[in-house]
Amino acid sequence: MIANFISAALISIFLQNAVFEKALGINILLYAARKRSHVIGFTLGLCYIMSLSSIVIWALDLVWGEFIYYHILAPVLYIAIIGIIYIASLIIVWRYFHKLFVKIKKFVHLTVFNCAVLGALFIGSQAGADIWGYLGYGLGTGIGFFVAGFLLYAAHSRLNNELVPAAFRGMPIMVIYVGVLSLALYAFVGYQTG
Amino acid sequence: MEKSNLRLSDGLIRQNIVLMSGIAIAPVAARANTFENGLALAFAFTLVAFFSIFICRLIPKKIVYTIRVIIYALIAGVVLIPVHLLVTLVFGEAMTAGLGLYLPILAVNPLILTKTETRFCLRPIHIMMVELLGYIAGFNVVCILVGLLRDIFVNGRIGWMTVDLGFHIPAIETTFGGLIVVGVMAGLFRALYNRSKQIKAKKLEKERRRQELIREVAQ
Repeated sequence: MIANFISAALISIFLQNAVFEKALGINILLYAARKRSHVIGFTLGLCYIMSLSSIVIWALDLVWGEFIYYHILAPVLYIAIIGIIYIASLIIVWRYFHKLFVKIKKFVHLTVFNCAVLGALFIGSQAGADIWGYLGYGLGTGIGFFVAGFLLYAAHSRLNNELVPAAFRGMPIMVIYVGVLSLALYAFVGYQTG
Repeated sequence: MEKSNLRLSDGLIRQNIVLMSGIAIAPVAARANTFENGLALAFAFTLVAFFSIFICRLIPKKIVYTIRVIIYALIAGVVLIPVHLLVTLVFGEAMTAGLGLYLPILAVNPLILTKTETRFCLRPIHIMMVELLGYIAGFNVVCILVGLLRDIFVNGRIGWMTVDLGFHIPAIETTFGGLIVVGVMAGLFRALYNRSKQIKAKKLEKERRRQELIREVAQ
């Protein structure tokens, strides 16, 4: 039970990091990496939404998983689940933590509705065996996003200095950097081409 | 006509969603690793983005954005169902399976969730159509081009046609390969764009000076 949780979490942080292995959420990461508070904020949001959605999706997969057209209907069902959790959470935050609501309302939708969340839920659904696997994968994806975000944040100012040609500053050099980190992770995991 | 060209080139070049703003990198970097994959992704993206944004435009503005963004995503999710079937019909089941999660995530791309709100809904319908086509064309061109390049370097072919370079770089088919290719392409694209802007500005300056000179001589 706990072993499944830890194993799924470790896999999603290191072996199948959503950013480095699947290139998911790079657009969000490029935005978040400008400020440390953004990286932390996005990570917390991602961990929260991924963990809760994973539990509901586990139940959904359990009930509907055998349905022949489930894989075609899954995106809209997953989006509906994310949407319900998003609205319910926002109502709670608005009602009881109004200051926090004012702070997060500008970018909270970016944290919730992005390819990192939906994509990682799909991977979790394929990889997770039980509820602990789903949950571990959900939480691990959030932590994996933090690892990627922190690495990008740490390099942000160095990658955007005058030594880098003007045309490559900003998004291009950051994407190349993510590519190089991804290459390192592939090597670490032991990927072989061909 | 010139204005409509300008609006079309806005999404195609100036605000290209892969090479300029980088809001739709994931499917291109990870899955556009062959010409066929690039084509299938472009096909799916065209249908999902076009019909979703068109329907999203009909959502009343009275509804707050917090709710509207969910409706946008749900609409895109529903549009994805026939698109999924159509991609399977046109490209085969193996291709749909190969695209994996990169097909469903097209439903939550920022072009639908953000640009609809900040751009497309603010324009009259005919202008919106031109701009939307520009954005979609921008994604498609890059997606197919990346697929084509990777197909050449990895498999030494474009679709069914053999293009023997005498060497192969198999690592380019991976996600990191895709990220590096997209990053390099984005940098080169920006350099070209900046250069053309400089040339244009120089031409305009030259023309302005010439006009001033003519005016002075006339006086």
